[in-house]
Amino acid sequence: MNFLALLKDTLFQFLGLFKNLDTLPVEFMRLLREFLVKLGALCGIAVPQWALDLVSSLVIIVAILVTFLILFALMSVFERKLLARAQNRYGPNRVGPCGILQPVADGIKMLTKEDLVPRAADKVVHYLAPIVMVAPALMLPVILPYGRDMVAVDLPVGILFFFALSAGAELAVFMAGWASNNKYSILGAMRAIAQMISYELPLVTSALVVALVAGSLSPAALVAAQGGYSFGFLPRWFVCTPWGFAACLLFYIGALSESNRCPFDLPEGESEIIAGHLTEYSGFKYAIFFMAEYVGMFAINGLLVTLFLGGYQAPFPFLEWIPGWCWFFAKLWAVALSMVWVRTTLPRFRIDQMMLFAWKFMLPMSFVALLAAAAWYYAGQGLAGWVLSALIVVVPYLLLGTFCFTRHHSATNRRYLYSE
Amino acid sequence: MHDFLQKIVALPWDQSPQWLFLIPGLLMLLAASAAVCLRNLIHSALCLVLSFICLGVLFMALGAEFVGFVQLLVYVGAVAMLILFAILLTPAGEVAASNNPLKNFRLSSALHAAAGAAITFLVLAGLLTAIFFSPRAAHAVLPAQAAAAPVALIGENLLTHTLLPLLGIAVLLTAALVGAALLAKEDTSL
Amino acid sequence: MMLQILLALSAVLFCIGLLAALTRRNAIMVLIGIELMLGAGNLNFISFWKFSAHPENLTGIMFAIFSIAIAAAEAAVGLAIVIQVHRRLHSVDVNQANELKG
Repeated sequence: MNFLALLKDTLFQFLGLFKNLDTLPVEFMRLLREFLVKLGALCGIAVPQWALDLVSSLVIIVAILVTFLILFALMSVFERKLLARAQNRYGPNRVGPCGILQPVADGIKMLTKEDLVPRAADKVVHYLAPIVMVAPALMLPVILPYGRDMVAVDLPVGILFFFALSAGAELAVFMAGWASNNKYSILGAMRAIAQMISYELPLVTSALVVALVAGSLSPAALVAAQGGYSFGFLPRWFVCTPWGFAACLLFYIGALSESNRCPFDLPEGESEIIAGHLTEYSGFKYAIFFMAEYVGMFAINGLLVTLFLGGYQAPFPFLEWIPGWCWFFAKLWAVALSMVWVRTTLPRFRIDQMMLFAWKFMLPMSFVALLAAAAWYYAGQGLAGWVLSALIVVVPYLLLGTFCFTRHHSATNRRYLYSE
Repeated sequence: MHDFLQKIVALPWDQSPQWLFLIPGLLMLLAASAAVCLRNLIHSALCLVLSFICLGVLFMALGAEFVGFVQLLVYVGAVAMLILFAILLTPAGEVAASNNPLKNFRLSSALHAAAGAAITFLVLAGLLTAIFFSPRAAHAVLPAQAAAAPVALIGENLLTHTLLPLLGIAVLLTAALVGAALLAKEDTSL
Repeated sequence: MMLQILLALSAVLFCIGLLAALTRRNAIMVLIGIELMLGAGNLNFISFWKFSAHPENLTGIMFAIFSIAIAAAEAAVGLAIVIQVHRRLHSVDVNQANELKG
């Protein structure tokens, strides 16, 4: 057959894929491989397997990168508009309809700004810090299962891979802070690293809770373990169990902290420390830090969706016609918007409040969630398990809350003259 | 895409291009040498981080993926951070730097360096002799079944065969945590 | 042949760490050398595990995991000691920490 016939044939097959939207991406990759083999056969060369694998890998990599960069761009404008509306003003609305082309304007601005490097700064480390920040951040989304059989790299130790790459972000923050040769930068970097390390522990322990119950560290297996419906219509997501709810909240708070978002954005609050470790960065390097932070935020939200919110599983059986990858991105977007909502609502933590919260409240609660998950698992996952694990979660929560956070009345009795 | 990576990792080592994993190996040695020789402590610590990352990659290439990721998580995320913080918190005083290197030359430190280098050279010679003249190492073959370390098996091993060392390590890490916090605390009673 | 190359890599890494621990005057550089030596030991464990007759015993892997944990604990305590020494002597030069000498 000649080239046009091949093209027509492939096009018809491609259009036929739209009958089943759920498996569209997987079938598209299979079709691409078949097309390449047939094209090679047409030209008289036998396409080697490694070339096919290389092309399909490249297509998947580009797809993931483009998706997350588009999410980053959309998020930057939606966040500003939502923040603005919460503050009773319009957000960016000049560029494009409803301001939707604002990321393009931002990109042009960042690219054309002068790239300042302080004279006394360590040039090599100052240059490498954004790279060390963004490279692990872009590698994070690769283990997430976006749909049925739609994992780019199905690592058996996926969760560990994720947290091992978060170590790269901490290193980058330190490099950025130290290389700028600026006291604000170093102080900001040390605070940021202390915050990230402190909250990494409850984060990892909450992820461990899910791995304990599901018996695997692979994200695809964790999503598959959340399939099915109890009582025929309620989803079996891990967030619907008492220990899962506690662990999900802890993971959510840890995710807010790892991405340096409000209420944990002390490292980059302008009124606190200028811009902390990012003080001496301008132009494209700042844009890279910004992008790495948002891509990291989406990646950790993706992990939250995978671990607790059922990944690509639909919530109710009658909604199963919506494809799995649509559900994944809908849940991801919902979690991201909830983070924006939290940002509009809560004020910033002080550094000592942040540390206290992590070490004295979140870490014990994450161990309590571990205990509750084990109790639920071994008490048969029925009503007895529910009640036991709910008790194990609620009682320490109330006790910790009472004893950790009692308000201390000040020693001196102040009289405020004009406070009426 | 996982198949593609799996195929690279699962190459039979006898026939595979052996240069493939010499790349992280040589980079690791280069980074370690830089870490040891550089004068600027922070640059040396960052080269150490690179060396740890290459070591982790080497572990993963050898089929021990769990150990490789634990190496990245613990060494790069924790030990390297500790070293960097310690470097920040212990700034060296102003060293008398003069442009003439001969003026800073001290016989004691030169002898010290020479003695260290001699001992290291002797150890290296001994180790390399043992490695390259040992018949058992020369004829070591890969086992019939490729070495695989699934995480579930590692977890099972940890909690059954090596339970006592696991509990010992738990006590050790708690003691180290408390001890390090106590040791580094400022003495405010003076 | 493969095993020998891996062991040689590990031997050279060990000797680089040994050089750092013996030659450098800064206490933190000594600790860096110790970490390199521990890393070389881990590489040895994993290489021997890969070429062992019964890799399903996972002995080398267990050793490596525990070695990494111990190295982390030792780095923490060692660096805490270095910080405390710096507070007393205002220097991290190992040659100056000689109050107990003689």
